[in-house]
Amino acid sequence: MGPEQIISELHAAALSSLERATTLDAIEAVRVEALGRKGKLAEISKTFGKLTPEERASAGKLLNSVKQDLETRLDARKDALASVARDARLESEWIDLTAPAPGVRPGSLHPITQVQRELEELFISLGFAVLDGPEVETERYNFDALNIPADHPARDAQDTFWLKDGRLLRTHTSPVQIHALEKLGPPLKVIAPGRVFRNEEVDASHEHTFYQLEGMMVDRDVSVAHLLYFMKTLLSAIFHRDVTVRLRPGFFPFVEPGFELDIQCLICGGKGCPVCKQSGWVELLPCGLVNPAVLRHGGVDPEQWNGFAFGLGLTRLAMMRYGVDDIRLFAGGDLRFLKQF
Amino acid sequence: MKFSYNWLRELVEGLDASPRELAQLITLKTAESEGVETHGSDHVIEIDNKSLTHRPDLWGHHGMAREVAAILGRLLFDPVKHIEFRGEAPLRVRIDDHELCPRYSALVLENVTVQPSPLWLAQRLEAVGLNPINNIVDVTNFVLAEIAQPMHAFDAAKLQGGEIIVRSALGGETIQALNEESYALDPSNLVIADSGGPIAIAGIIGGAESAISDSTTRIVLESANFNASSVRKTSAKLKLRTDASMRFEKAQDPVNTIRGLERAFALLQEVSPGIRLVGGLADNYRPQPLQAPIVLPLDWLDRKLGRAIPGEEVRRILESLEFRVEVIEPRVFSVFVPSWRATKDVAIKDDLVEEVGRMIGYDSIPPIAPLTPASVPPASPQREFHYQVRKTAASQGFTEVQNYSFVSEEMARAFSLDPAAHVQVVSPIASDQNLLRTSLLPGIWKNINDNARHFEHFRLFEIGRAIYPDREVPRFAAALYAKDDGAAGLFELKRLAECALPGVSIHPTDSSASYEHPRRAADVLYGDSKLGRLFEFHPRMIEGGRAAVLDLDLSRLFELQPGSSRYRPLRRFPESAFDLSVLAAPRALIADVQSAIVILAGEPLLSIAFLREFTLPTPSGEKARSLSYRLTVGATDRTLSADEVGAIRSRIIDGMRAAGYELKV
Repeated sequence: MGPEQIISELHAAALSSLERATTLDAIEAVRVEALGRKGKLAEISKTFGKLTPEERASAGKLLNSVKQDLETRLDARKDALASVARDARLESEWIDLTAPAPGVRPGSLHPITQVQRELEELFISLGFAVLDGPEVETERYNFDALNIPADHPARDAQDTFWLKDGRLLRTHTSPVQIHALEKLGPPLKVIAPGRVFRNEEVDASHEHTFYQLEGMMVDRDVSVAHLLYFMKTLLSAIFHRDVTVRLRPGFFPFVEPGFELDIQCLICGGKGCPVCKQSGWVELLPCGLVNPAVLRHGGVDPEQWNGFAFGLGLTRLAMMRYGVDDIRLFAGGDLRFLKQF
Repeated sequence: MKFSYNWLRELVEGLDASPRELAQLITLKTAESEGVETHGSDHVIEIDNKSLTHRPDLWGHHGMAREVAAILGRLLFDPVKHIEFRGEAPLRVRIDDHELCPRYSALVLENVTVQPSPLWLAQRLEAVGLNPINNIVDVTNFVLAEIAQPMHAFDAAKLQGGEIIVRSALGGETIQALNEESYALDPSNLVIADSGGPIAIAGIIGGAESAISDSTTRIVLESANFNASSVRKTSAKLKLRTDASMRFEKAQDPVNTIRGLERAFALLQEVSPGIRLVGGLADNYRPQPLQAPIVLPLDWLDRKLGRAIPGEEVRRILESLEFRVEVIEPRVFSVFVPSWRATKDVAIKDDLVEEVGRMIGYDSIPPIAPLTPASVPPASPQREFHYQVRKTAASQGFTEVQNYSFVSEEMARAFSLDPAAHVQVVSPIASDQNLLRTSLLPGIWKNINDNARHFEHFRLFEIGRAIYPDREVPRFAAALYAKDDGAAGLFELKRLAECALPGVSIHPTDSSASYEHPRRAADVLYGDSKLGRLFEFHPRMIEGGRAAVLDLDLSRLFELQPGSSRYRPLRRFPESAFDLSVLAAPRALIADVQSAIVILAGEPLLSIAFLREFTLPTPSGEKARSLSYRLTVGATDRTLSADEVGAIRSRIIDGMRAAGYELKV
């Protein structure tokens, strides 16, 4: 037998052994036997010295191709075995992903906080500053400076919690108008969200504690058209959809002219329900041009400056937004309600 | 205020809008309609009184008819025909203070027949919610409802002396009123009196004694004007609101008293045939200064409304509302306000913006973005911080609640608060909710027990103001309820505190409040500054489970927020770490042991972390705690050698032993 024939036979034998090998160790044994330093192919190469140069070249070439082939097949076989082992391991690693994930879930922010925050961000993006005012106010800031003198019938509309020290709980966020004029001076664009109080009987649509958002812009030549622009921008952003609105005269001593902006009730779609008192409309925005008397009380010359102001019922807005038909839920502290937001 | 549709139709030429259409128009242009109801062959439009507070003229049908005529561009009929009352005043009228009673006009009529009113009159009154009584009283009420002039008829035979006196009540005076109630009067109440005493409470109600009866044959017909504020105060004090007082409160027009008498006399001739005037008109008044006209520059008006309105249209609108307009220079009007709008409603040019604006319709004004310089609004960092705290709490599973600002004295005491140190409400919503809260805890406590009925475990928090006499302080309170031994909840809240302000420390205190678990209560500190409390509610206060609470002063927390800090270079040389286990007394504090180690370790100590504890018996039989810490040491300029690290470790061990601790080495 010539060396080339022997190489071919060794090749065939090694392939056959490899076929039968089912473990990594067995494969390694095949490799050592065929390709090892003292393996059979190494042995055969030692006999090449006896060959003619032509024979040697031919046998060498065959030997190399057989070595390469065996190495490739050995690796492939090893990989195949490893992948079977890995597959088996992975198979055993099955877990039930429908089991609940551990750890605490986020809580929720109060719906009024969420609505308030959204509006704050909206107004900040429109260049408004966000101000805070005290909840305990003086008569001057809550009434007098807002052009509501002591015997003014408008005080009837705002049942007041008077305090024993002569002060009161603010009945609206409007006192912040005066604080803003005094503190910042014109020109200014501010909003002031916050808690307000009315001494009223509580029912599904009345609370003694609720939230408003006051807004005011003071500049040169501020017009009803500007106010309308801000209100429309505001409402389309708040409701993320077209709402039907209407404007009509409204009397508030701190604005002149004053008006009411109503939106069509989002709960009943205008058909009439307890929240809109069967009218199909909900008063959302009392607003108007700042009364010159208010500017004067805030130390601002109404011949030089004017502005608009509006008051938004944040609580009412949250009711509209989330379809809440009982205002008492907001301060009820019931997590069955609050966790829904 | 109820308006009869049929009545309005008599006053407006060719009124063809349906009652509902009319109500809608009035809502959009004038005052808020609250609905339309059928009343026999009539319809009644109900207008919200609150939207009429500034409009004395709209408390009568004629005033509303004027609005309707202006809205629809129709003619307005005036039901009042001028009558010349000739002859001597039939009685004297004395007014002590014209400030309180600007005008008192009266007629005396004889040959009066008191009888039921004819049907048309009774129906009119019933439609607008007034009860027909007899022809004389009904005429006064008709005039009130028609031209907003309250009137009163006295039985002349019951009056003493020949003089009507408008004066302040004397202390101790009382009056039996038409409503069969008796009222004790004081000098702040204005009365109409004769020589025998009060015969009416001015502008509010007449007296029973001089009331019209079937036997009345001669009457004194009062048509007066009273100070709005005075009527309002007396009405509030006596808790007596009448159709008259509601109108006077709105500041009625003194010119209207004569119109009231003219209209009433015309009607009385119809419903009490044969009735005759005795003498002429009694009329005591202080001449009213004429209000100067308002200068209205049309360019200014356009700028205010944000829309150009032709001068002719402005003029048409104002004149349809019976303002008189003169052109004083091109595009500048001089506007004379009618007396019924001048009492307090229309005084400045801004008031005219409203008249024009509502009549052209606000919907006709196109929204325009103002041209103002772009600027970044001033920040409100405190508000932003509150929101960050809210988000931090929510991300850790806490749900936000909002509680009322009111607490009871009992609740304040339950939370170791002095009721006398609270701001007090004069007339609280419920008699026991008379304090303004200085702590969020009472509300949180109620939340816990309320929600424990529905949940096995829950977390909640509130941010709200504590209100003190001299300041308002934002506070944060969080609670965690579970049916367990309560320990885990305290650590959850401790973590929340550390997330809200990194660097806070918890210092258990020996003394605790009565509502706190005596062995689970601690101060929350930042450095030496106390921020609040971390504690478990005393188990006797919580039903069915345990509740841990974190209560913080949010304003202090805000002040202590770190600003942005400078970057620290990364360490160039490797660090070394080793563990130490210290045997400590059963109630030794992990933090105290750690502080002792930190002091001994000195500068090379880069960080220290508590690893674990376990309890083990001591030879004496007592239990001891083994507390393990991992210390990381290093130097900025080189790698510490094993010997150096060993020396540091030995120094700490020796030091701790010297301080009385036992160490497992």
